[in-house]
Amino acid sequence: MIGDKIIVFGYSKIGSEIAAVLRSKKYNILIVEPDTNLFNNAKDDGFEAKQLSLMTDEELYKIDIKNDDIKAVFCVSSDNNINLFVTLSVRNLNKNTKIISLALGKEDKKKMMLAGANKTINPYEIGGLRIFRLLHKPLILDVMDNILFSESNIQVSEITIEEGSKIDGLYLKDLDIDKKYNLVIIGIQDKELSDDFIFYSSGINHRIDVGDTLVVIGYAQDLNMFQHFVKGNKGTFNN
Amino acid sequence: MGHFLVSLSYQIEASKTYHLLKNFTYDTLENNLSRKKRLFDPFMIFLVLSTVAILIYEVNHELLPWLDSYETFAIIVFIVEWLGRLWISSDSHSIIIEDYEKTQILDQKYEILRSIKKILKKKFEFIISPMSIVDLLAILPYYRPLRILRIFLLFRLFKILRYTNSINQFSRVFIEKRFEFFTLAIMFTMMVTFGSTIMFVYEGGGVNPKVDNFFDAVYWSVITISTVGYGDVTPTTTEGKLVTVLLVISAFSVIAFFTSIVTTALTERMKIIKEEKVIAEASRLRDFVVICGYGRMGSVLAGELNKIKQRFIIIDNKEETLDDAKTKNYLAIKGDATNTHLLEDIGVKNGATSIVAMTDSDAVNLSITLGAKSLNPDINIIARVNNIEAKHKLKIAGANEVVLSNEITALVSSEYVGQPVAFEAIDDILLDTEGAVMDEIEILENSEFIGHKLNEIDLDGFNLSLIGIIEATHRKDFRFNPNKEEYEIKAKDILIVIGNKEAIAEFGVYLLSSKPKFYKL
Repeated sequence: MIGDKIIVFGYSKIGSEIAAVLRSKKYNILIVEPDTNLFNNAKDDGFEAKQLSLMTDEELYKIDIKNDDIKAVFCVSSDNNINLFVTLSVRNLNKNTKIISLALGKEDKKKMMLAGANKTINPYEIGGLRIFRLLHKPLILDVMDNILFSESNIQVSEITIEEGSKIDGLYLKDLDIDKKYNLVIIGIQDKELSDDFIFYSSGINHRIDVGDTLVVIGYAQDLNMFQHFVKGNKGTFNN
Repeated sequence: MGHFLVSLSYQIEASKTYHLLKNFTYDTLENNLSRKKRLFDPFMIFLVLSTVAILIYEVNHELLPWLDSYETFAIIVFIVEWLGRLWISSDSHSIIIEDYEKTQILDQKYEILRSIKKILKKKFEFIISPMSIVDLLAILPYYRPLRILRIFLLFRLFKILRYTNSINQFSRVFIEKRFEFFTLAIMFTMMVTFGSTIMFVYEGGGVNPKVDNFFDAVYWSVITISTVGYGDVTPTTTEGKLVTVLLVISAFSVIAFFTSIVTTALTERMKIIKEEKVIAEASRLRDFVVICGYGRMGSVLAGELNKIKQRFIIIDNKEETLDDAKTKNYLAIKGDATNTHLLEDIGVKNGATSIVAMTDSDAVNLSITLGAKSLNPDINIIARVNNIEAKHKLKIAGANEVVLSNEITALVSSEYVGQPVAFEAIDDILLDTEGAVMDEIEILENSEFIGHKLNEIDLDGFNLSLIGIIEATHRKDFRFNPNKEEYEIKAKDILIVIGNKEAIAEFGVYLLSSKPKFYKL
């Protein structure tokens, strides 16, 4: 995971924030920015950067877009139409990478998804919802922040069940990992059934298969232990 | 004498009853935002209309004795009301205290007569103010012998004007547009003078029997210009007819001018009246949120607040954005949120629990934050920041929470790169879409579960995942996944759970009404 390549197209305000956060997570970042000023900003901030507009496939090849090492592409320039264009071009050349694009409204979101984005982000929506939560449920927000963004030890983690896992074939409710590993299960995604996420709280006692992805919350060290155990390397689950 | 009045003034200033009484009177008579005035006004309007009705009835009917006493009662109310207004028009004791303290500071001899003069001057100013005169004239028709004063009963109808704020507002139209009206008046006078002079010169002096004197000529031209045209006085000579044609043609412009002035002025006023209504409505609300700046972020916030039926009011200075808010039936006013008076008027001091400064300018948000803080130090202030450097400054200014939307967006989206499934799950929870929500449930003081272990709560029965507990003793700490066999529930503990919305609601009921699993008598 660490060292994966991520391309950030557009060193706008939001683009620079994203780049900074990704850098703190030790990703290998490439900034692509057509504007000279912003391009220089990216250079000054110490990023690897290229001054390209990405409006032609030729330019896309220059950043080696077909490479499977590219984990994600952020299309977050300040021009919405250019973001849309780049999203479509990137998706055309690389089917596997994740494309995350800026979409400032519902209509934009639809277009972006059609163009091939995996996810759209809307800072206005995220900011507005955050303020709403600060007003409505500040405690919950605090807990969420604690888990998601802070330096604290509690984290959310997803664990994909691989061939030969010790919990393959077990039922969700029988895991009892809150006692044994001090973890809380949020839910599970079964790739075979659908992309829908099954919350633990839905009451469905799902049978865990290879390919499922478990989402759990817990302390980093407990998560590590559990991950090892799930892989089948070590662990004493049934004792 | 002087000493006595000064000490009396200080006593009055210190008296709670006095201030209560004065505030009560003020609220009832003058304070448009007060509930008392809104009850008192219809009562007064009814009194005015009913006494006028009695006077009309009396013209050709024998007056009934009970109507007579009713009128006496009404007049007494009017007098008391006028005296009340006189009383609250100025604070006499404050004038004495102010003057006295001034002389003390300057080390001069205090002269009570000067203060009394000042007081009398203030009161006299009130008495000769137009509205006070209207009040006084309304009382006068009670003296039956002076029948000619009956004409003043019309003033009693004017009295209604002072009780209806809206009409009061309309009267201001004339003051605002006085330049236009002045021009109009000059045009009108010139036309009347011109028309009536020609009419009188050619048709007066026996040529036209209907134009006997100059006043008849003036009467004719006014009737013609106003396009009323009764036709009782008509021109007979060619010259007279010619001037009529000219007057009629030019009258169009006067009428058009007049109509346009009045309509534009009224529509402008109408907006202000509506705005004032919103402010008055907001100042009566309790527990509401003030949203300053209705942009894209503001509309998301407003939509969410509307969903949970939390009341809020929007302030924005752009007409177009406000139209959107108004079509959604949100309470919104056009205005400058950095204006502390506006914030005070809508109730930042009283009813508002939180204020959100979310314009796209950090400087404006800072100004709003400081303004709100100065009005009400206890209010919860949330400020949006666009530039990371400003975050610190807004915290200094007193914002309780600062939201940097770009930063939070960056954090959220970087999470998506690493762990898409976990991200989608959390996103679902955060968006309250469907499936699961995260919620807090407080253990109330009378709960049966207090002192019992956590595993005695039937979490599984409601399919809830317990993430952790915020303990009553240290609110700041979040205790993740406490050991269910060992953790002892305390009053005011807050359980953080993930689950279905309805299940969480039912769970709340369960905690109140049920007993622990291993309940011992």
